[in-house]
Amino acid sequence: MQFLASLEHSAFGTWVREAPTIWAYPTVLFLHTVDLAFLVGINVAIDLRILGVASSMPLAPMKKLFPWMWAGFWVNAVSGVALLIADATTKLANPVFGVKMCFIMLGVINMAWYKKQLFSDPEALARNPVSSRAKRVAIVSLVLWIGATTAGRLMGYLGPVSGLE
Amino acid sequence: MGPTGLIPLGGVLQSAAAWVATTWLHHFATDYKWVWATVETLHFLGMGLLIGTVGVLDLRLIGVAKGLPIESTQKLVPWGVAGFVLNTLTGIVFLAGAPYQYLYNFAFQMKVLFMCAAGINVALFYRAGAWPKARTVGAGESAHWAAWLAGAISLFLWVGVMYWGRMLTFFRPPFVVPPK
Repeated sequence: MQFLASLEHSAFGTWVREAPTIWAYPTVLFLHTVDLAFLVGINVAIDLRILGVASSMPLAPMKKLFPWMWAGFWVNAVSGVALLIADATTKLANPVFGVKMCFIMLGVINMAWYKKQLFSDPEALARNPVSSRAKRVAIVSLVLWIGATTAGRLMGYLGPVSGLE
Repeated sequence: MGPTGLIPLGGVLQSAAAWVATTWLHHFATDYKWVWATVETLHFLGMGLLIGTVGVLDLRLIGVAKGLPIESTQKLVPWGVAGFVLNTLTGIVFLAGAPYQYLYNFAFQMKVLFMCAAGINVALFYRAGAWPKARTVGAGESAHWAAWLAGAISLFLWVGVMYWGRMLTFFRPPFVVPPK
């Protein structure tokens, strides 16, 4: 707790939280939101396609969307660490934060599965409809990303809340 | 920018806000703590759905994932429309719950402006000739410049809508008490 407090009161934590400039807290929060939309949104688009939506759309070229999801992930990892440092004593004491991290960890493992298993197998990609195994993975993916987004939002309402969003 | 934003305080806007505060939806949105939290969560999920689906079409128009025939990506758009409808409905709940916080908020006014611009962009894309050319663009081919432009503008405007949405709390009029 001592460590978290010193993290929160570090020059960087204080700057993110309190600097009276649009480039501190507001911008970090904005980046975290936009990249949530790209990371979660494109994952959802791929999940929907696997589940049979827009089935005339070939699945294989969607591989090119992965860099957009990974960019979203890394921007959110970095902006998330900044938001965490700025509010460390509250957020790390909030169990909802732990739930969110679990969802994200599993979501990223799921993305890696897509990339390593499904998207590296031209035969599986060409199947239309896609295999029922991939469909089960797509449902898990949807649950994980909806869960991560929901947990992220509820951190502002459940458990200890500092008022910082 | 002053607390009243683009539109001056008073007049029609003030009567509208005062009326909204008397509606049942206003009480529904403010009387239970779980309503705001739930509606906010749905608003974020709708955002992801809209950006993820419309975003794939927009990205294809500007040349990402060219292996996708353009017309096939358009099949995702109804899901984006569903996200938009969800966010319009949840947005109305926010507006009803805290009319003064939004109507007098510069960021909210900009957000509405960006959404209107996105609507005009979509209308022009489908009605002004870009779509008939774009829909026949197959795997590996580039979109016509007008379709490329519509995709780029759409991405810019939706990122802008998210920007102004996130800026709402930082432009909150000083006379408004936060809803939490």
